[in-house]
Amino acid sequence: MHRYKFVLYRPLQFLPVLFGISVITFILVRLIPGDPARVLLGTRATPEAIARIRAQYGLDEPMLAQYFYFLRNLADGEMGRSILYKIDVLKLIATRIEPTLTLVLCSVVLSVLIAVPVAAIAARNQGRLADQVIRIVSTFGIGFPPFWLGLMLIILFSVELAVLPVSGYGNTLSDKLAHLVLPSLTVSLSLSTVLARSLRAAMVEGLKSDVATAARARGMPESIVFWRHVLPNSLVPTVNLLAVNIGWLIGGTVVVETVFALPGMGQLLVRAIFSRDYMVVQGVAMVFACATVLINFLADIVTVALDPRVKL
Amino acid sequence: MIAALLKVTDLTVVHDGDGGERTLLDAVSLDLAPGEVLGLVGESGSGKSLLCRSLVRLLPSSRLRISGGSITLSGRELTTAPEAEMLAVRGGEIGMIFQNPSSHLDPVMRIGDQITEGIRFHQRLDAKAARAAAVDILAQVGFPDPARQYDSYPHEFSGGMRQRAMIGAALSSNPKILIADEPTTALDVTIQAQILRLLMDIRARRGLSVILVTHDLGIVAQVCDRIAVMWQGRLVEIGEKRGLLAAPAHAYTRSLIASHPSLPEEDMPAKAEELRAPGAVPVVDIEKLHVRFATGGLFRRGAVDAVNGVTLRVMPGETVGIVGESGSGKSTLARAVLGLTPVSSGTIRFDGTDIASGRAVLGMLRRQTAMVFQDPFNALNPHLTVGKMLAEVLRVQGKIETAQIPARCGELLDLVGLGRAFLDRKPRSMSGGQCQRAGIARALAVDPKLIIADECVAALDVTIQAQIVELFRELVERMSLTLIFIAHDLAIVRNLCQRVVVMHRGVIVEEGRSEEVFSRPKHAYTAALIAAVPHIDPDKPLLAPSKMATPQADGVAN
Repeated sequence: MHRYKFVLYRPLQFLPVLFGISVITFILVRLIPGDPARVLLGTRATPEAIARIRAQYGLDEPMLAQYFYFLRNLADGEMGRSILYKIDVLKLIATRIEPTLTLVLCSVVLSVLIAVPVAAIAARNQGRLADQVIRIVSTFGIGFPPFWLGLMLIILFSVELAVLPVSGYGNTLSDKLAHLVLPSLTVSLSLSTVLARSLRAAMVEGLKSDVATAARARGMPESIVFWRHVLPNSLVPTVNLLAVNIGWLIGGTVVVETVFALPGMGQLLVRAIFSRDYMVVQGVAMVFACATVLINFLADIVTVALDPRVKL
Repeated sequence: MIAALLKVTDLTVVHDGDGGERTLLDAVSLDLAPGEVLGLVGESGSGKSLLCRSLVRLLPSSRLRISGGSITLSGRELTTAPEAEMLAVRGGEIGMIFQNPSSHLDPVMRIGDQITEGIRFHQRLDAKAARAAAVDILAQVGFPDPARQYDSYPHEFSGGMRQRAMIGAALSSNPKILIADEPTTALDVTIQAQILRLLMDIRARRGLSVILVTHDLGIVAQVCDRIAVMWQGRLVEIGEKRGLLAAPAHAYTRSLIASHPSLPEEDMPAKAEELRAPGAVPVVDIEKLHVRFATGGLFRRGAVDAVNGVTLRVMPGETVGIVGESGSGKSTLARAVLGLTPVSSGTIRFDGTDIASGRAVLGMLRRQTAMVFQDPFNALNPHLTVGKMLAEVLRVQGKIETAQIPARCGELLDLVGLGRAFLDRKPRSMSGGQCQRAGIARALAVDPKLIIADECVAALDVTIQAQIVELFRELVERMSLTLIFIAHDLAIVRNLCQRVVVMHRGVIVEEGRSEEVFSRPKHAYTAALIAAVPHIDPDKPLLAPSKMATPQADGVAN
């Protein structure tokens, strides 16, 4: 099992990565023009009141000192207090993490469920009608921006057919899932086309490969050749593509959550940016960064499990 | 004559292209008796592999189709059989093994499972019984610990063991005919001998008929009963091997036999001993050279001595062959001489100057040495015409005036026998042999003192190989070149080189005049290498059991 040894020491490599991310988010947030105290108090605030708020949140201290406090808080497992919501940033994120997490999870599962069969149909009918149709549709899928796709889906399923809720998030599990159908579909229509194209290309190669020829020469029917030899060999490159795209997807929830008014972290991030709520922006960015790092780590584990030749 | 098991009559395969039909197999007829070994020889593109694929109707492209003729297997017609019946024929009655086991075995599937797959499908056994049968087959094909090795993946084995695994997979469904398409071309000679012996053992034990596709007449002479010769899609000659080798009827067969390198040459290379005049400075003087490669990751470091204390001198005008199996360090040695690989310890002097003494020396080295590579096609820039490629080298070298470059390009092409028409050709429109000639012309453009050719004929057909070797011989004589010729093919080295160096695991185990070394090898390894070369004379048996290494010898890598 020594091939999985990297699971033990790879997390050590995350520390410098996360440190770098903390520096970048800290600086970027403060580069946005504007002042959280002024946003909070409104346009008619007196300079004294603004100074008081700034002192209260440590915003009057030098940047380096502020960053030091930020790091010290992180070490204590805290991310400071939200200026806008007046509660601890971690607690705030905890209340918002569920819709985002479920959205990402549903989208990924749905994307894979769409991509694998679609790619299989296209690859096994390479050059024929089914393949052409799938390729054209998937080109459109990549071309359409998710927010537009989301709006179209709302018009079709919620407004015209009235089978699914327009926006928001429910309380019971079934209610929540019903609210997540359209957002997940919006995301996976884009994501699955990316995956399907990569998977199709790998499968077309695989069907022509020596491995497939050898299996056919052993008398294996096309179905076994495909599902047992071509598919497993095609998955490896696609897993890494999926990991990269999940990273992108986490950032993309900002758009989707706004379109569907989902009370998740994407929405939180948008509001925090508008009100210059530095602590919240930093916190959410850190959580997103951690998630992306974690997903790539998981993808490495899956790759090692899928391909016995890989050593990490 | 025994009734034929497989009978092919006037089999014709055509390619439906944009420019109409092209005939790739032209009315091929042959038959195969039970238990017979038929050797199928011919150069690349002659249709050997296509014929094999056609027998099981696995044509490599959808544009190919069988347009005529018939294939009957035990009285059943295969050209018109429904696909479902063909599934039972493939594997179940006709098994196939291929040249490159590394690419034909599924890298992400356990070795044993790839054998079990066929057993379960064809014999409908349950998982447990199929596994037991697969373990048994692994033992039969020479896996020393089959129960454990069942769960290993292909990359964990050496090339020879992978080929054994592929033979196992082909045998899994008890076929009556085994088609082996160049099964040993990618293997070292000693491993090749083991695999051939295994094939013959299996054939004897199971009463298999075998169609053995190869370009090596030596193999055919050693293991086959009959020989069929293919040329440009046609079967030009077929017959019992002794008769055919003794009295070839077709011109191509004659040239194939003539170019087979295992034939002793009447005129050995001229004796060049006088070249070693006392006081002459060696072109290459290697002393106690070590090249070590680090292995392993961050936590477990190791090192492999690719070259482990080599001392070698090459005098001006000498032709030295370096032979050895893959992994013996011959290519690493060559790269070190050209300053392409960092040296761990020891010294290399080129023309008396230590090549480690600065960048200027390295520049000098580059202007006076050239390399010819194994893969002639990929070693040439696909976007440049041959003329532009040569002109570029000449311009960079700056040894001759710019105005004279075009004339020199033409001379170079004349020198390698390509002719000036090739100035405007690109590699894509040239054959392998032509590409290699262009590669040699590029090496000569440097006007080098020393040429190192690393396995430069390994990828070429036998008749082309002979032509390239002849070219080298001429060039060496005419231009007083010094040549280091690296090859795993002993016969070619014997024909070309005055002196031979035998490498094994990073050390030189033997060196001396070619005739000496090959006729009276002193080291056991050299003797084993020579014994493993299939001789074209069927009466000089290759597979004498006493000299054979055990299958375990090439055991599990890693």
